[in-house]
Amino acid sequence: MEDYQTGEETAFVVDEVSTIVKEAVEGAIGENSYQQSRVKQWTNNVVEQCLSQLNKLGKPFKYIVTCIIMQKNGAGLQTACSCFWDNTTDGSCTVRWENKSMYCIVSVFGLAI
Amino acid sequence: MWNGLLDIVNKRQIPLSDKSEKNTETSVENRFISCIFCVFRFRPAVVSSCIRELVREQLGGESYDSERSAETAQTLSKRITDRLKELGLDRYKLVVQVVIGEQRGEGVQMASRCFWDADTDSCAKDVYMNDSLFCVAAVFGIYHY
Repeated sequence: MEDYQTGEETAFVVDEVSTIVKEAVEGAIGENSYQQSRVKQWTNNVVEQCLSQLNKLGKPFKYIVTCIIMQKNGAGLQTACSCFWDNTTDGSCTVRWENKSMYCIVSVFGLAI
Repeated sequence: MWNGLLDIVNKRQIPLSDKSEKNTETSVENRFISCIFCVFRFRPAVVSSCIRELVREQLGGESYDSERSAETAQTLSKRITDRLKELGLDRYKLVVQVVIGEQRGEGVQMASRCFWDADTDSCAKDVYMNDSLFCVAAVFGIYHY
């Protein structure tokens, strides 16, 4: 079994995760307009792409990725999260993205093993 | 109580049979650990009913307000976390996510994926709707080895 070194190799790096999420969202949705028939596929693509890229980092974490896509029509949306974990090893990252017709909010939680 | 049980497992104070074969010792130990685990496992049905009760208590009869709903979502997520800590899930890390949105006929889709240990980790969710708002509360329980 590998021994993981402490330091950046085993820490949850928010910037790194944020970049992965933005790329996943751009790749899955891009400039598409909101379509009810495709939104399920988009959310699935975003979470799957995020998870596969996070796994490639090779860090000793369990990951939870959630994605919300909401059509723009003036309605409001609030999200909140509360975590019971180890502050020194675990972390989260939330990315808000939008285009002309929809909002996309992706949250990634990384919990050290 | 949990620390005491872990000490027993770690010190391997498990009675050996006369045959004293390594396989027998390992399987007894595995069964012992599985029995402990059954008691303290994250049970989605139990957690889901817990969330359901809290969400309806907090949001029943409420209408969406952009300033108040932000605070409500935070309060609700904190309350859910506190209540779940009382359920005896000591070996679990918990992530509680609450989403409150205004009902205006917009389309909304939410999805999640997890990279975890399917034997130990799980999630529970509840969806609440009234004429003015909708609320999704999701709880993820991750076992800490």
